Amino acid sequence: MRRYVAGRLLQATIVVLLVTTVTFVLVHLAPGDPISLLFDRPGITEAMRQEWRASFGLDRPLGEQYVRWISNTVRGDLGYSISLRRPVADVIADALPRTLLLVGLALTLSFALGIVVAVLQSERPGSARDRWLGRVLLVLFSVPDFWLALMVLIVFAYRLPIFPPSGIVDPVLHDYMGPWARARDRIEHLVLPVATFTMLTTATISRHQRSALLEVLPSDWMRTAIAKGLSRRRAVRRHALRNALLPSITLAGLYLPALFSGALLIEKVFSWPGMGLLAVYAISSRDYLLITATVLVSSIAVAVGAFLADLATALADPRIRVG
Amino acid sequence: MIRKPRSFRPHVARWTHVALAGMVLAGCRDVQQQPVAAGPNDIGGTMVVAQAAEPATLLPPLAGMSIERQITDLLYDRLAEIGDDLNSVGDRGFKRQLAERWEWAPDSLSIVFHLDPRAHWHDGVPVRASDVRYSFALMKDPALGSPNLPLISNIDSVAVRDSLTAVAYFKRHTPEQFYDLVYQVLIVPEHVLHNTPPVQMKTAEVARRGVGSGRFRLNRWENGKRLELVADTANYRGRPKLDRIVYTPTPDFNTAITRFFAGDADFFEQLRPEHIAQLAKDTTRRAMPYATLGYGYLALNNVDGKQPGQPHPIFGDRAVRRALTMAVDRRAMLKNVFGPYASPLYGPFPHALPVVDTTLPQIPYDTARARALLDSAGWLLGPDGVRAKDGRRLEFGITTPVSSAARKQYSVLLQEAFKRVGAAARIDEVDNATFMARNGDRSFDTSIELYANDPSPSGFKQSWTTSSLGKDGSNFASYSNPLVDALLDSATATFDPRRTRAYLRRAFETIIEDAPGIWLYEPPTVAGVHKRIRTNTLRADGYWSGMADWWIPAAERTARDRIGLRPTP
Amino acid sequence: MIASDALGRGIGAHPMLRALFRDSRTRIALVVLLLVTLGAILAPLLAPYDPTAHLDIEHLNSQPPSAAHPFGTDPYSRDVLSRLIYGSRVSLAVGLGSVALAMTFGIAVGIAAGYLGGAVDAVLMRLVDAAISVPRLLVLIMVVSLWGRLDLVPLTLLMAGTGWFAVSRLVRAETLALRDREFVLAARALGVPTPRVLVRHVLPNVIAPALVAAALSIANVILLEAALSYLGVGISTPTASWGAIIQDGAERVAELWWLTLFPGLAILVTVFACNALGDALRDAFDPRQLPRDDSDALFASEA
Repeated sequence: MRRYVAGRLLQATIVVLLVTTVTFVLVHLAPGDPISLLFDRPGITEAMRQEWRASFGLDRPLGEQYVRWISNTVRGDLGYSISLRRPVADVIADALPRTLLLVGLALTLSFALGIVVAVLQSERPGSARDRWLGRVLLVLFSVPDFWLALMVLIVFAYRLPIFPPSGIVDPVLHDYMGPWARARDRIEHLVLPVATFTMLTTATISRHQRSALLEVLPSDWMRTAIAKGLSRRRAVRRHALRNALLPSITLAGLYLPALFSGALLIEKVFSWPGMGLLAVYAISSRDYLLITATVLVSSIAVAVGAFLADLATALADPRIRVG
Repeated sequence: MIRKPRSFRPHVARWTHVALAGMVLAGCRDVQQQPVAAGPNDIGGTMVVAQAAEPATLLPPLAGMSIERQITDLLYDRLAEIGDDLNSVGDRGFKRQLAERWEWAPDSLSIVFHLDPRAHWHDGVPVRASDVRYSFALMKDPALGSPNLPLISNIDSVAVRDSLTAVAYFKRHTPEQFYDLVYQVLIVPEHVLHNTPPVQMKTAEVARRGVGSGRFRLNRWENGKRLELVADTANYRGRPKLDRIVYTPTPDFNTAITRFFAGDADFFEQLRPEHIAQLAKDTTRRAMPYATLGYGYLALNNVDGKQPGQPHPIFGDRAVRRALTMAVDRRAMLKNVFGPYASPLYGPFPHALPVVDTTLPQIPYDTARARALLDSAGWLLGPDGVRAKDGRRLEFGITTPVSSAARKQYSVLLQEAFKRVGAAARIDEVDNATFMARNGDRSFDTSIELYANDPSPSGFKQSWTTSSLGKDGSNFASYSNPLVDALLDSATATFDPRRTRAYLRRAFETIIEDAPGIWLYEPPTVAGVHKRIRTNTLRADGYWSGMADWWIPAAERTARDRIGLRPTP
Repeated sequence: MIASDALGRGIGAHPMLRALFRDSRTRIALVVLLLVTLGAILAPLLAPYDPTAHLDIEHLNSQPPSAAHPFGTDPYSRDVLSRLIYGSRVSLAVGLGSVALAMTFGIAVGIAAGYLGGAVDAVLMRLVDAAISVPRLLVLIMVVSLWGRLDLVPLTLLMAGTGWFAVSRLVRAETLALRDREFVLAARALGVPTPRVLVRHVLPNVIAPALVAAALSIANVILLEAALSYLGVGISTPTASWGAIIQDGAERVAELWWLTLFPGLAILVTVFACNALGDALRDAFDPRQLPRDDSDALFASEA
């Protein structure tokens, strides 16, 4: 077991290193640089730009910059964001929890919802209920993420102004509210993005959960359970579900990169200042270290997700543990 | 809530009428608000500003972005402030700020500034002449890397005569020497900054602290969330009428707009035409036009981006540049992109500058003449509808930044207009960094530029003279004409505004005839403001200059106005 | 040329295909895809206007739907219906083109890794792991923002270049399982050269899962093209694509709703059809033929 974990960790490290290195090189090769974007007035001399480049070490050869970045990163220093004039770690520390909150809530809700829907479907596969739920899920699975978000935004924030259209909290009054009003303010801002995100992820989870359930239904112990007098419905809820949950956990691990893409679009539509928007901002401002850091964080998240998913599968399946 | 009865037509309609008549002048006064003055009860209130940008520094000599200049202008003072007419020659119209008076030496090579003894920094320390000396020396220090360094090249040094008297020495007597010093140098506190070596200032925490002597002080700044200024109640120039200004940065333009229309913000800097139209029906918000010094044009690169120094195979020819200008219906495009709200552009200058002339003859819109001109220049129509000359097709790129909706729209319209005279344009929509890079090394065929002039005639020399061809200049079209060089030199050397105007007129006439660019638009600069907020003079070089005197009548307060000056939790 | 125990028995008679066509999802999907394809082919006959012509930039720009322009006009006074009809060409071209390329490459890599094993497998799969761990949307945004907007062909190549990872993993898993099956072992024992074994015995058996993957991938590419356009880094103007129409209205979604609604619905219907076809294919080809984690999860990772 320990060797297996160590092996997987080594693999994950190689993957993360590879991804960040490619990113680091690519962004530095792209046209334009972060310094020109710091000034929007005319009359900035080239000498001045050079001086700024030098003071952030951008005038050094790419290899040297890379070695410095690697050695700093290994020591836990992600560097300095030129466009925001703040340590990259601070910027990430602001944005990451916001995305985790959004993704975490949506994922929890859609797991609960997705499993319920899947159970409803697989109690009687092929029934009208199964087919109709399947179609609804397929529509949600096919809808462009940003388009659904836009429609939700237009209806529930513009046409019927029930919920705030953007941001995390009221930018001014939040700090001057009482504790209850504050909590309410937070929840109101969460409703639309989380609801949209939940709808989108439920489709994936539920479709997957259904096929996992259908896979265990024909097994011998299910037949035994039904033969023992358990109704099919109870058999599904009691036994099959427990065995079919594992694939969904695996799914969550593999699903992380897609979640990031989805989160990016949701964050964009609802102006939720998380990692997705940060990545887009970093790219457009050529903030090299900030771009690399967002890629680093997302690839670590994916590696950890895949690792945990494997671990869960391995713990449940003794055949893998041996190999 | 009781509203004071006021009767006037919707602001937008009235303004549009004025704008189309070409009568909006620099610092036009928002007359409808003047009759009601702020009373003693009208002190207080919160204004929330939605901004798609956030500063990276609050140290004036390092400020390179518009948002940084705006906030440092509110936090810091100058020795004297430019007048509402934006005169930059001599010291006419300048108003005192940190200096309560000044005296010119007989040879005009030095000026003595007497500081206001009541002026204090936000931390309570009095402002002294040594701060003036330090501010100048800091900006002048190459180790600091001030992007504005070239602007103060005529200033030799600043000396301290006594604690409240500073003397500035100049290298030459020039029309704008006073302006160079007082407009470009904001005074910063020596005692706060002097422990940080200039070379480390770019990334130093102290450069984000914003301790100044202005009428607003920095209360707190949480990156990505809010930057809050509050009234400096003991300020020597008087307490601002507002309690606080909260800047809420948003990730993009649309979010800022959304926030404004959702009521989460009271002020938004630059509305798009569709929002201006929307405000005409709005009962709680109004459109507030102000002049700026920006203008948009299609730069036709006179030199070959791939082989620097060689004339551009298409745009090196004046006849082709003129023909393509004739192919463009500038009036219709202006209407398509901005509706009724933008002003046409007559040449490489914004009409708000007092020294320019908008009656100059223009190259007409005439597609038949455009085709004939291209024919006679040797560009003949091929079978596929695209012209060619000596085997080279009349094909070129239009570079435009992805961030600008107006410029993107112009690029599509221009592409279609050029197609109609047999020119195949390709739209290169690039992100800002790439756009800047292409601007820097002039590696484009044509490029849609939005250029903001300094409020001074010398600004023209940065973009249309031979000396501005290199990377330091903004001569994006690589335009070079010795006659224009000479005329612009003369225009900035004279002390007589009438002669300045005459020289400029001839220079612009020549530039328009040479067509190094197609003059497209002056962007409509209209802010959205909540109706409860009363504004004052909006200067073209910075509408925010009078913000400390904006006010909210006591009777119209909303929840956030009633927060008061209590400390933040 | 491909003969195999899976597809060799004549198309009409094959039980899998019969099952497939009995499925109502297949029929709905095929009707929709046929209509979209017909629209794309007959676009010049169907479209009332030239999709790139500016009709009247002063008076006909940003008009809501009317009798003359049932889907309205865009900010450049172009007819949205005509752009929508022509846009199906771009969406289909990008979708089909990139997926065909990605499938070819992904299958080749997957078979190579699975059959050769050892170091080749290890290196290839670590590369795929690395590639798959970066969100595809982020990669696309990065490439397009850093190097400029792309035209049809480069965009198709880029989609293909970022779209083969999942299928290569899937094919590798299939190949690994096939490598030890009797008919492959027998062929190897008889001294059949490796390329021939791969083409005659392995390839035909990975085609079925790859087809399912292809249907889902086309759906994914169409969605991605639209998302890129919404983010302002889609196909370069003035090409009419569904995403590009949305992009032209993205700055003013609330007012110019017709620029978002109609192309959005077109995307939804087409993607739905592709996904439905994918589902039907998967069910027809015996669901357990696909390893468990290679279904939605794997393709979700490409979104």
